[in-house]
Amino acid sequence: MNVQSAENRSFSRRGFLGLTAAAASVPLLAACGGGSASQGGGGAGGSIKFWDMPWATPAYNDAAKGIAEGFSGAKGGKASYQIIQWANFYQTFSSAIASKTGPAVSTGGGFQAFQFEQQGQIAYADKVIEKLKSNGQFDDFLPGVLDPFKSDKGYVAVPWQLDMRVFWYRKSLFEKANVALPTDWPSLLEAGKALKKIGAVGFATGAGTGNNYANHSMIMMMVNNGGGVFNKDGELDLLNDRNVEAMEFVLELVSNGIVDPAAVSYTTDNMSAQWKDGKAGFGLFQVNVPQRVGDTSGDLLVADPIKGPHGDKATIVFPNNIMMYTNTPSQEASEDFLVYYLGQLKQLWQKKLMSALPVFKSITEIPEFADDPNNVKIVKDWQPIAKTFASQGNTLNANLAALDGGQALNQFSQSIITGKADAKTALQTFQSGLESVLKK
Amino acid sequence: MSSTTAESGLARARRGVAPGGSGTAPGKRKSKLSAQATRTFFWLLLPSVILLVLIHGYPLIEAAIQATHDGNLLQTGNFVGGENFATVLSSAAFWKAAQFTLWFTIVGVFGSWLVGLGLALLLRTKIPAGNTFKVLLLLPWVVPIVVSSTAWNWLVATPDSLIPSIFRNLGLGTPLFLADPTLAAVTVMMFKVWVSFPFMMMMTSAALASVDNTVYEAASMDGASRWQQFTQITLPLIARSTYISWILMTIFCVNDFPTIYLLTGGGPVNATTSLVVLAYRTVFQDFATGPGVAIAFLMTMTLVVISVILYRQIRKSSVE
Amino acid sequence: MSAVLHAHPESGPALGIAETGKTRKVLSEAGMRGRWWRFVLILVITAIVLVPIMVTVLLAFTPGPNSTTSGLTFENISNVFSKTLAGTWLQNSLITTLATVVVSVAVAAPAGYVLSRGRSKAVSGYSLLLFVMQSLPIITSVVPLFILFAGMGLVDNLLGITIIYVGSTMTVATWMMAAYFDSIPISLEEASWIDGCSVFGSFTKVVLRNSLPGVLSTAIFAFLLAWNDYLVAIVFLRSNEIFTLPMGVQSFFQQNATDWTSVMALAVVMMLPPIIVFATLNKYFSVGGIGGSLAGR
Repeated sequence: MNVQSAENRSFSRRGFLGLTAAAASVPLLAACGGGSASQGGGGAGGSIKFWDMPWATPAYNDAAKGIAEGFSGAKGGKASYQIIQWANFYQTFSSAIASKTGPAVSTGGGFQAFQFEQQGQIAYADKVIEKLKSNGQFDDFLPGVLDPFKSDKGYVAVPWQLDMRVFWYRKSLFEKANVALPTDWPSLLEAGKALKKIGAVGFATGAGTGNNYANHSMIMMMVNNGGGVFNKDGELDLLNDRNVEAMEFVLELVSNGIVDPAAVSYTTDNMSAQWKDGKAGFGLFQVNVPQRVGDTSGDLLVADPIKGPHGDKATIVFPNNIMMYTNTPSQEASEDFLVYYLGQLKQLWQKKLMSALPVFKSITEIPEFADDPNNVKIVKDWQPIAKTFASQGNTLNANLAALDGGQALNQFSQSIITGKADAKTALQTFQSGLESVLKK
Repeated sequence: MSSTTAESGLARARRGVAPGGSGTAPGKRKSKLSAQATRTFFWLLLPSVILLVLIHGYPLIEAAIQATHDGNLLQTGNFVGGENFATVLSSAAFWKAAQFTLWFTIVGVFGSWLVGLGLALLLRTKIPAGNTFKVLLLLPWVVPIVVSSTAWNWLVATPDSLIPSIFRNLGLGTPLFLADPTLAAVTVMMFKVWVSFPFMMMMTSAALASVDNTVYEAASMDGASRWQQFTQITLPLIARSTYISWILMTIFCVNDFPTIYLLTGGGPVNATTSLVVLAYRTVFQDFATGPGVAIAFLMTMTLVVISVILYRQIRKSSVE
Repeated sequence: MSAVLHAHPESGPALGIAETGKTRKVLSEAGMRGRWWRFVLILVITAIVLVPIMVTVLLAFTPGPNSTTSGLTFENISNVFSKTLAGTWLQNSLITTLATVVVSVAVAAPAGYVLSRGRSKAVSGYSLLLFVMQSLPIITSVVPLFILFAGMGLVDNLLGITIIYVGSTMTVATWMMAAYFDSIPISLEEASWIDGCSVFGSFTKVVLRNSLPGVLSTAIFAFLLAWNDYLVAIVFLRSNEIFTLPMGVQSFFQQNATDWTSVMALAVVMMLPPIIVFATLNKYFSVGGIGGSLAGR
């Protein structure tokens, strides 16, 4: 309640200032032709504003636009489609929501829904889930993908694609280095050393501007050892033995030159180039790497998950999701739209536009997806062992947004892959850095 | 030659900023036109005041509110007084960023000034196609930073990039320009100098254009060496313009976000995190609005102090 | 001092031309050899400085990954125009930038005149205020501004960002204009007052008319700021058809990949108008450029 009243206060204050300024300037500006900005989550005629990100090539956005505009609601409701650029997207969403010009439904950052939920802007999706249950789609979800979105108050968002982190390798480099594919940590180290001898990289990653793969690699290795940032109760738990062990192992990779010493500054483009140019032999990457880096040789393949020293097998996944906002012309129309949109997702994979796993089993079975053995392997071997950024915890929350891409994690993984700190000290700094940002 | 007696505080300061060699209105004319002038001045100033309040005043008030509250971009939250400032001032990251900002600004201002001055002096002489060079050398300032930062990244980022390859072939090892903390700081400063020197070149060219060449002729007749001519004639003559360009470049450097952020993102391990980058990352990546805006505030205050010091210099130089 | 001879803006010769008279003697002494030596020096420096830009231009003319052509090609540039709304973006950028330039000068020139000629405490306070207020980084101002502008229906249109650009350029622009006006002898105005001109009349008819270099330099400052901004545009603009060019460049950055060929092609398109402006105005610019106006003569 406290939050609610604070919110009202701030909105009314802003509203007041806005009005004053508007009153003062309207006569001046009226002549200049006003804006095309539509008001409210719906805009004129109660159509649903759907905001989407450039998740893939422009062809993706064209297809998604087609789907959104094909919606026709129960009362003749329509939907409009809007692309939001990734640069500064949080500013874009925040300012739009604060000024009531935001969307009714949107995709967005991985933990954005939880941030806006905390700020009272999210409409829970429980009724959508009900409808999915009645139309059979609910049972089509891959195991475990929905659970992270269930909070005490309801479903904060609905996942629509899984951005997986999996190990890839370049087959020809392993042949050239004459070494077996790693199955556990010691063999990962051995493979790395062998690859190093032929000038290849055995743990390809990057931590340059805008590149989160090193961050993800660090958390992945912790989770792969049964550790992670949070424990089962969702408490910050960085200094556990498993994490220390995992980071000591990564530091061993670093000291053996298995991590590229320049990786700390690699952007995703630098990293992709390393994969394409046959420099990277093994490393954590996403779905559809050959397409992403522009390699048609068939030489880039998904590796098997590897076992941690205590027998753990795990990786991390970012379940990208669609959320609904309280500012909508009609909550029912928002829900209808979301159900409709989820039902049409198959098209995007049929057109081979996505670089992520679908959330629905039925889509993983369509030929356009299943024809690629790499995809099948990810669904079969990696998806079942994937954990979210909440690590050992089960549900996502707003704090993860400050973890993902926040300064503490960035600084941590940069200090590890440059080998500038020992595991304990780095984890200690990471922990205190996070403590200062995370809301209790 | 100008009568400074009739001027009051600001007018003198203004003249310091704008060292025109012009005379000033004697007191009696001022009173004659005074009433009309005040009225006209009001109307002349009004649009600028409205814009200042709207575009700068309002966000400044918002920022002041955010800096003293514990909320986020959507909710103001509770008033916490100076807590955010205390948090910021007691964090090591802030002081590290402040230190980097200081170096970045010093190198950015003087590096670009020296390069700009050198080129301006060179271009001042008669050179075939001189005007073409002048336009070409302005390009680094014109190209969008998103693009030039990418080009720089391609030139230096990986061991196989052009510049590290050249170093390797010269037997100088393979420097990792963005991965080594010190080199990354140097690279980012070089990038800033590269982006900014055209501005300095232009400022200096213009100031040099006003220096009368007969001064040099007289000086060389008196037996002054080239260097003496430069330090004792050229530099003093363009001193005011130089101070102004320093002030403007100081503002540009301290406030610079894209140059650093797009090239290094502030890394490795915060080695190139300036105060603006820290403020941005604190607000939009750590989602700690209050402390982030507090950083921006502290930065602004420092900037004002530095500029006031530089003003004094200008005033001094205009008195001479 | 003889430099005073050049105090009148209209008599200030362009940098390139400046040497023709007095330096000719010096030149003949230095001789042609020094001239060519300097030419080679500046050529080398320019070549080194322009390496990153040549990379950009080269990539803009190199066939993209899916292209069938080989060698250098205009394909990328024609593609951005045919497959995206680059033409519209260019037009939007031109409109926004020109409007910013015109309005900035229209606002900054009168204000600068007051700062230059006014002597009251209020004016001096305002001068300082201008400086202090623009020190706050734009990244912290964008969100409050958006909320304010949304209330006035000024988001997602070019008018909104133009107002912000004018506001952002105005502070420095006002200073630049004030500095320039300071170099104009007040005796000119005094003469016009005696002829019965009002204060406003003498400002427009006498002062402004003699301020072309100052106005141009201010205009160019405003031009570059508005032309290259994306930090404001990205939050304020939504619809594809009202993007400016920097926003267009941003739209090639996707979640997992960047269409560098298009980025570079559009970057080259973006470079052209400022180059044309610089080249055309070069002779005024060298003298009355930003430096000139501030430096005074």
